[in-house]
Amino acid sequence: VRSTFIAGIVAVLGVWLLPTLTSAQQVTAPDVLVSRQLAESEGLAVGSVIRLATEASGTRAREFRVAGIYEPTPDPSRLGQVPRSVRLHLPDLLDMTRPVDVPAGAEYVASVNVALVDPQDAQQFARDVNARLPGVLALPSGEAAGSAGPFRVLERFHLAIAVVTIVAATVFLLALTIMLVDERRETVGVLRLIGLPIRRIMVQILLEGLLVAGAGAIFGLVLALASEQLINQFFQWRYDTALVFVRITKDVALTCVMIAVPLGASATVVASWALLRRGGLRLARR
Amino acid sequence: MNALGFAWRSLVRQPARAALGILGVAAVGALLFDMLLLSRGLIVSMQDLLDRGGWDVRVSAGDLPGMGLRIPNALETADTIARLPSVQAALVIRTASAQIDRSPGGSKDPPLPGGSPPVSPLRASFQGVTTRSTNPAGSRLRAPWTILRGRDAEHPDEIVVDEQIASDAAVAPGSEITIRASCVADLEALPEMRLKVVGVAEFPFQTSNESTAGGTLDALKAACGGNAGDTADLILVTSTGDAGATAAAIRAAHPELRAATNNEVVGRLQQTGFTYFRQISSVLTTVTVSFAVLLITVLLTVSVNQRLGEIAALRALGFSRMRVVKDVFAESVLIVGIGGLLSLPLGLLLASGLDRILKGMPGIPAALHFFVFERQALVVHVALLAATAIIASLYPMRIVSNLPIAATLRDEVIG
Repeated sequence: VRSTFIAGIVAVLGVWLLPTLTSAQQVTAPDVLVSRQLAESEGLAVGSVIRLATEASGTRAREFRVAGIYEPTPDPSRLGQVPRSVRLHLPDLLDMTRPVDVPAGAEYVASVNVALVDPQDAQQFARDVNARLPGVLALPSGEAAGSAGPFRVLERFHLAIAVVTIVAATVFLLALTIMLVDERRETVGVLRLIGLPIRRIMVQILLEGLLVAGAGAIFGLVLALASEQLINQFFQWRYDTALVFVRITKDVALTCVMIAVPLGASATVVASWALLRRGGLRLARR
Repeated sequence: MNALGFAWRSLVRQPARAALGILGVAAVGALLFDMLLLSRGLIVSMQDLLDRGGWDVRVSAGDLPGMGLRIPNALETADTIARLPSVQAALVIRTASAQIDRSPGGSKDPPLPGGSPPVSPLRASFQGVTTRSTNPAGSRLRAPWTILRGRDAEHPDEIVVDEQIASDAAVAPGSEITIRASCVADLEALPEMRLKVVGVAEFPFQTSNESTAGGTLDALKAACGGNAGDTADLILVTSTGDAGATAAAIRAAHPELRAATNNEVVGRLQQTGFTYFRQISSVLTTVTVSFAVLLITVLLTVSVNQRLGEIAALRALGFSRMRVVKDVFAESVLIVGIGGLLSLPLGLLLASGLDRILKGMPGIPAALHFFVFERQALVVHVALLAATAIIASLYPMRIVSNLPIAATLRDEVIG
């Protein structure tokens, strides 16, 4: 199916398309699927008869019946390009694209997708094919995607941006906690003077830090969940795609909390440490 | 002492919080600067890459060259294009996939135990080119690659290779290589041919994970065993003046072909390809500026709240309302200004790292950059930081301007 799709896209680059409303030929014309975007732009519906050709001049055009309209698989590398494509049965496509001097059955296809009874055998199956069919390269689907696919590159890019944002937020957080701790200098001094040990005060500060960081993390998650739908709707509208741009999964939420809470609590403790090293009298003195 | 000097002393008096505030602005500013570089970087870089070759118009059979559609009757088509009055020269480019034998010394594969090292062939693309021109100046135009060492390939038995092939196959100008080129399908039986390497070249549109060789169209046809046909992937055209008029003339002469000027190619890229990066740049710019405004506002507000007594005392000593407001504003300007200055080198450093990450995307030419420095980006960066300094200081300025002197001093004394 995938090879048909790929070959279809290639062929469709030169497609000359003209919807016609013939009725007698609808019965015999082979079926095709058209993408939602193409159907919308050309006003096609299920049952429409269209003419496809591989040359822009429209020579050797053939008629096909639209059997269905499909939503193209979202592809980030084609973001911004309206996917006006047609899916044909492979024999129909080969009939259209075969040069006149090439006999039927001598064509080639770009790739063949194979569904195994047991997907765990993919590696062994690929090895067997490579050994038995010289000139054919078989790869398990995971490896065929390649390590530098657009998804993975974008993931690395977003991770780098996230790291910079976390660094900036940490620095600001430290500055803020230093100020807030300094504001409570006298209170800490009094606590020291009435006999509370440094460890006890530190535990209190740590607990306070955890509470504040926890509340902040929960607020951040709520904000992210609220904006998730908005961001997806905007970008899906902007690019006319079903691609999901933001998805806040349990793992993502957990990672955020695991970073934010310890970071917030640590910032509070680090900022308080210099203060707690001073004597109680010095802290309480105005 | 003026407001700026006074604000400087306020910052120096509390070095830890001042340094952290400035560092925070520097980090946020670096991200902001990078997003501004990203917003137009790809477009600027692509325009530069297209213009660098000296070719004004690109003619192809489909919207994108190399997507399966080829220009039929390529040489005749190029001849008719070259004869147009506004055309100086036309360059026909035909690409084929090729396998180049590695010399045993150049193989990086581990040797087999007790045997000779495996010599798996290098996979590369082979560009064959030929120039068509009725203009004496046009016929001297060079191929779409830059020679780094040696000279350009001029005869059917000569080839130029990129640095990757030169390194992997251990060849240099003067060496010979065995090449098997396929002009029709990858799976056909490939004929073998010996070609002389006469130069090492840089191919501007080559992606970072591919290897490319180049030569004359005759060399490519010979390498393909005469199985190349008379088709081309692309015809590059140099006009005598107006590229737009030349493209229109080509479209009129060959309505079945697509002819686009460099500006039109870039415009198409602006409308379709990689708009995602423009969008993400806009979103992150907005988020970054909002983040900076919020945090600097909080920093200044907390700082001002801690110094209310001090400010009230200054007012009581004769400092005017405007003067203390100026002090707060100057403090904001200093934090944002110093942080903003630091953000420039930091941003350029970060941009080079992010650029490396994004260039890992398949199909991106190695010479293309996502982050490109532009004066316009710097101006916008400065303007946004200036706006940040002003907006962030509005609330703390309001606090100090409305400060009741007597009540604040009394609270300070009693508290």
